[in-house]
Amino acid sequence: MMSSRQRALIEFVLDNLVWFLLAFVLAIFSLAIPNFFQIGIFANIIEQSTFVGVMAIGLAIVIIAGHMDLSVESVAALTAMVTGILFCTHGIGLGYTLSPEWLIVPVSLLLAIAVGGAIGAINGWLVVRLQMNAFIVTLAAYIWVRGLVVAISGGRSAQGLPPSLRFIGIDTVAYIPLIAWIAIACFALFTFIMAKTPFGRHITMIGGNAVATFRAGIKVDKLVVFSFVLAGAIAGVAGWLLAIRTSGATANLGTGMLFNAFAAVVIGGVSLKGGVGRLPGVYAGVLLLSSIHTAINLMGLPAHFTQMILGGLVLVAVLLDTVKLSIRQKLA
Amino acid sequence: MTDTAPLLSLQNITRNFGAIEALRGVSFEMNRGEVVALLGDNGAGKSTLVKIIAGGLEATSGKVMFEGKERNFASPAEAKAAGIETVYQDLSLCTNVDVVANFFMGREIVKRYFGIPILQEAEMIAATEKAISNAGTKIPSLRVNVEHLSGGQRQAIELNRFVHWGGKLVLLDEPFAALGVEQTRRGLEMIKRIAAQGIGVVIITHIMAQAFQVADRIVVIRQGKVAGDVARDKTSPDEIVRMITGEAFQGKAQEARPNGP
Repeated sequence: MMSSRQRALIEFVLDNLVWFLLAFVLAIFSLAIPNFFQIGIFANIIEQSTFVGVMAIGLAIVIIAGHMDLSVESVAALTAMVTGILFCTHGIGLGYTLSPEWLIVPVSLLLAIAVGGAIGAINGWLVVRLQMNAFIVTLAAYIWVRGLVVAISGGRSAQGLPPSLRFIGIDTVAYIPLIAWIAIACFALFTFIMAKTPFGRHITMIGGNAVATFRAGIKVDKLVVFSFVLAGAIAGVAGWLLAIRTSGATANLGTGMLFNAFAAVVIGGVSLKGGVGRLPGVYAGVLLLSSIHTAINLMGLPAHFTQMILGGLVLVAVLLDTVKLSIRQKLA
Repeated sequence: MTDTAPLLSLQNITRNFGAIEALRGVSFEMNRGEVVALLGDNGAGKSTLVKIIAGGLEATSGKVMFEGKERNFASPAEAKAAGIETVYQDLSLCTNVDVVANFFMGREIVKRYFGIPILQEAEMIAATEKAISNAGTKIPSLRVNVEHLSGGQRQAIELNRFVHWGGKLVLLDEPFAALGVEQTRRGLEMIKRIAAQGIGVVIITHIMAQAFQVADRIVVIRQGKVAGDVARDKTSPDEIVRMITGEAFQGKAQEARPNGP
């Protein structure tokens, strides 16, 4: 029989396994790869994690609720394009200006959230009201929303955001770019919401046993739709950040991010069965992927090694999940 | 609400599914704190009856009186609001969250800061601890996820939750189907403790020994009718079996029916 302190310690390690893994990997890289251990590299890892990270928040919430959202990448591309078309000064940009000038920040952000949320609402409605499978509904959205991006842009790109918006993509605070701080703030906000509010608690319980929550009087349908709206809105923010960082938008912006986000969610300890997972773990998962990416770049290995390692890592993550489960069962 | 009225009174309940008469005039009463075992062969109409009591089905004719008032529950939610609930094995717990979260499912204690509801964990833990220990249930840690608890402990959580939130009548459909010997014994004890708090318990079971261990009264349903309604200490397993299968003794069963609760 182990003491409760030992048990608490083991629980803590299991709960935050991916953070320990991240620390371990960073330590190895710092020792083994010349020039890895410097602030610039770490800041770069954090910056790289911004877009996939923000996108992964919404994806994780929907998966925790027991569903699936494959559309986040295309939604991000759509809001990036909408931001680009409205506010860029070159290419297909219309170059709208607002007065006072700073209004462009809240207006463009709210617009991105609204557009993303609207796509999420369509997904949620189809899944809940028409009882369609979320995988199919959002796979369709993944395709049609990307199609919409190509359609509204005519395949061309928008460039040149005004400085009043662009500064977000350029400025740094304490070595870390502002956009990365925004991603960190998003993680902090939604970690809080998932852990401390009835909404987060109910979403987690719905993912665990939707029948039980329904019987307990929780409005399951409403909450599931809302989780899709949230995923869309958060993907909208990711797209907004993407447009700001690249100072514009192209029709194929963000391609491939979905699978990185997915990998991060799984590595971060979110179970695809629903009901299990925490957002800090997901952020650690994103950072882990970026670290490996950066290490491979620094070592001068061809980029396609990243994909092989990423795939292997996803498998290891799922394997670790099984190990964790059996350790927990022994603890209880 | 009067204390003299029975907790639940069924009067001539019938239920047809098309041309099939599942229930053909069922009447029985039960009081607060009473444990009634509902017995009967497969297809006798037990499940239909339980669904009618808990609001899952409506009776074709007849009256359901709850606490002295006529109630026809249109949905399980309505019945639940009145204090009637069916506890199904594993259907009403979320095993991926801890005991406290399950205990407060849909009724979380929150405090609003700037209009945002924030969960009050400490209060919820204290309330759960109190309710669980009052009921004499032992659970190693309230913060452990329910998936790591035994079937008996899960059942204890469900029943304690039911009592804590003001339940008055609980319907248990084969509650020990998946439990071992020791867990079943504890479950039966818990049912007695719950009844001692003034809660009505209807337990559906196939196992005669369990019915005799826990029930105050045994009601036998056969072909959609009450074939016997006897106090436990005035009957024997053999007699009950005869009621279930319908071999003679119909007269004796009616005779043995108690005159009062």
